[in-house]
Amino acid sequence: MTPMHPAVPWLVPITVMVAPAYAVEYLAVEQAQTVLFAQANTFVPQIVTLSDQQRDDIKERSGVRQRTATQQMWRAQRDGELLGWLVVDEVIGKHEFITYATAISPTGSVLGVEIMSYRETHGDQIRDASWRAEFVGKTLSDPLRLGKDVPNISGATLSCRNVLDGVKRLLVIHDMVLRDG
Amino acid sequence: MQIRSTTLFLVATLAIAPALADENLFGYVKGSETLPEHAYEAYTIITNRTDKSVGDYDAWDTKLELEYGATNRFTVAGGLIGRSIDVNGLIVDGYLPKDEDTGLQFSGVEVNGKYNFLSPALDDFGLSGYWELEYNTIDAHSGQDKDTLSFSSMLIGQKYFLEGQLIWAGNAFLEATHAKRGAIDDLPEDFEWSTDAEVELELGASTGLSYRFAPNWFVGAELLYETEYETEVGQERYSIFAGPTLHYGGATWWASFTWLPQLTGGGEKFEGQDTDLHLIEKTEQELRLKVGYNF
Repeated sequence: MTPMHPAVPWLVPITVMVAPAYAVEYLAVEQAQTVLFAQANTFVPQIVTLSDQQRDDIKERSGVRQRTATQQMWRAQRDGELLGWLVVDEVIGKHEFITYATAISPTGSVLGVEIMSYRETHGDQIRDASWRAEFVGKTLSDPLRLGKDVPNISGATLSCRNVLDGVKRLLVIHDMVLRDG
Repeated sequence: MQIRSTTLFLVATLAIAPALADENLFGYVKGSETLPEHAYEAYTIITNRTDKSVGDYDAWDTKLELEYGATNRFTVAGGLIGRSIDVNGLIVDGYLPKDEDTGLQFSGVEVNGKYNFLSPALDDFGLSGYWELEYNTIDAHSGQDKDTLSFSSMLIGQKYFLEGQLIWAGNAFLEATHAKRGAIDDLPEDFEWSTDAEVELELGASTGLSYRFAPNWFVGAELLYETEYETEVGQERYSIFAGPTLHYGGATWWASFTWLPQLTGGGEKFEGQDTDLHLIEKTEQELRLKVGYNF
């Protein structure tokens, strides 16, 4: 009989505990639109294309990279009147991208943030309304620093920081290309 | 042949582990982050050490470890250590007395703690202290009886770049070991095998870079320098190992696989050794697989 490999017994606990992991999708775009702009009756899709110079400027002003040259967003309207902008964005989580939606007013303040998908080991609390409420009313005039004007969540510090930096980056994009409507 | 069987073993292991996760991006270099309060993580760490340029040498170190977040900044852990040493056709005076094939045996226990002073995401630079106490009954080199009690202290640095897509980590450590070998009845003639208690001091530093090239997948490289000082001989050895690491992480499971060959080494050598590496206490090759489960 062939002797058992010396490492095999140490793998038994792994095989016993193995269970498939699934991505968690919380909101579709239409749901995020409804939640963040309940009074809107029209969402006009718009893709903003950014030049290399604009991407450099975004990094300069927000402190983080604009990874893509295009940014998907929707103009939220009620009977033709602009209520604000809804931007769906992705930032780097510990292992996967975090998809989130940010509602920005015509004057450049945050109306709300919704986490659309989160797949990390810890830090589900970033979905808590109380944490997301910390963003409401924030503008580029605020520090937008984790642990200062937006609290950190232990075990999800990188996710918190990247969502916060992502919102700041979206405010910069709004200021550069959307402020005039 | 050794590489082939190890490859088959790893393929079989990964085939039964569907999706994995966490910040153990490296096989040897430690990261500065700690578990959240009341979170658990279970690991299996398997290290294969092979080749001393003469004869056949095949050692397996295995560890089962359970980690717990005592607070958001302080993680404690305990582990069970197993060893298997298979040495054939290699006698090294003072170190490897005879051919031996121990099979997998329980060797000892370990407890450790990590305290996070600075968070790499919150404070821009991560800094943690790590302390470990380990007791073993089997000599990691020869497979003979040897009681060792080691205490190590480590400083861990970590830095995120590109919003966390590129991660650097670095460690510096000091380990003190008190050791006493058991007597062997059938030693070769004139073979030196001291059973007096001895104290060893090991210093080391390591560094690694890991890049996320696709969601869940990280590729990296790590480098490990170690040197040991002993009471009578001063600097007994030094070695530098370096190699690539592949890491996969998901929401619940993660795994890291590292190949770490010895690039350079020095200090004591044995008669008949045909390379300039340090091969008395180290080997030419190391492979490490770590698999973790968060709950």
